[in-house]
Amino acid sequence: MNDVIWIHKSRARHAWYGLDERQRAEFAETWHAADRRGAGAGAELIGRYSVRGQSDFSTVEVWSFASVEDVFAFWENRVSAGYTRWFAFENLFGTR
Amino acid sequence: MTRRTSTTALSPGRERAARRNVGETVEQFRREGWHLSVASMFDGVSRDAEMYQTGFAHHVDFVTAWEAPDPFSAASAVDRLRDAGWELLHESSWLIGPREFRPVPGAGRDPAGGDWAMFAFWEWNDHWQAATPREVVEYDAECDVAFQADVDAGIGIAGRYRMDAGSQWHHLAVWELPGVRTLTSAMAEHERVADFKFTTSRHYLGRRAPLSSILGDE
Repeated sequence: MNDVIWIHKSRARHAWYGLDERQRAEFAETWHAADRRGAGAGAELIGRYSVRGQSDFSTVEVWSFASVEDVFAFWENRVSAGYTRWFAFENLFGTR
Repeated sequence: MTRRTSTTALSPGRERAARRNVGETVEQFRREGWHLSVASMFDGVSRDAEMYQTGFAHHVDFVTAWEAPDPFSAASAVDRLRDAGWELLHESSWLIGPREFRPVPGAGRDPAGGDWAMFAFWEWNDHWQAATPREVVEYDAECDVAFQADVDAGIGIAGRYRMDAGSQWHHLAVWELPGVRTLTSAMAEHERVADFKFTTSRHYLGRRAPLSSILGDE
């Protein structure tokens, strides 16, 4: 059982709205692939939720990890895949 | 970042116990190899824990940066401080991230360290994210001019940390300052090179105070 929770809030940056659907899908696949690599290392996606109605952000993802180091590695994968170019974020992790 | 809480609801005995337990817990961190002082980030010498008084200019009373031996130690330390009674004394926010660069001492640095520090959080804004590689290279070169001027003026860059896995901020920089006036002129130079056109930043300026005096003088 994973002992570390990671909560990721996000909203699209200005430039994201200038992309068409095909471009968005292509970019999104790069960080989804990064997430799948993370999941292979034991990360678990608990859920992805819309929070636009009551938040500065549009989406919240909740993941669990085996260790804080795994959180850093998972996030670095996403950053390297170009995710933060398109999405602003606020992250939070906690230990059980 | 921490604010004093009202301890009027605590019995004097419980308050004293919390102060003593917190002091002992932080001393245990020191024995485990933590750097609890900005000066220690430069020379690795073990020193007593330090805080920076920020209440004169900010919404928090104190800010500090401590370096843990590893990420698990950093994350579990927050629980250890809670168990020692920290939350009876202070309402705090703890952010955790790995170091990126080795320290760069300021010109003519006093080995005992400076009495002031700046804690600079920033995130790259939408304009940075949309900038071309050439624009980013040119921006970095301009900022390097300002950072060299900082170091020449005696400002020590104690560390830069990645904060993005656990906060809204991408980075934290910790600066050791010979004085407040030095910071004012340094910020003017960073404005001149347009450092802030690509960032949203939050800066905390504080004056050094031992944690023991903060635990003892309330």
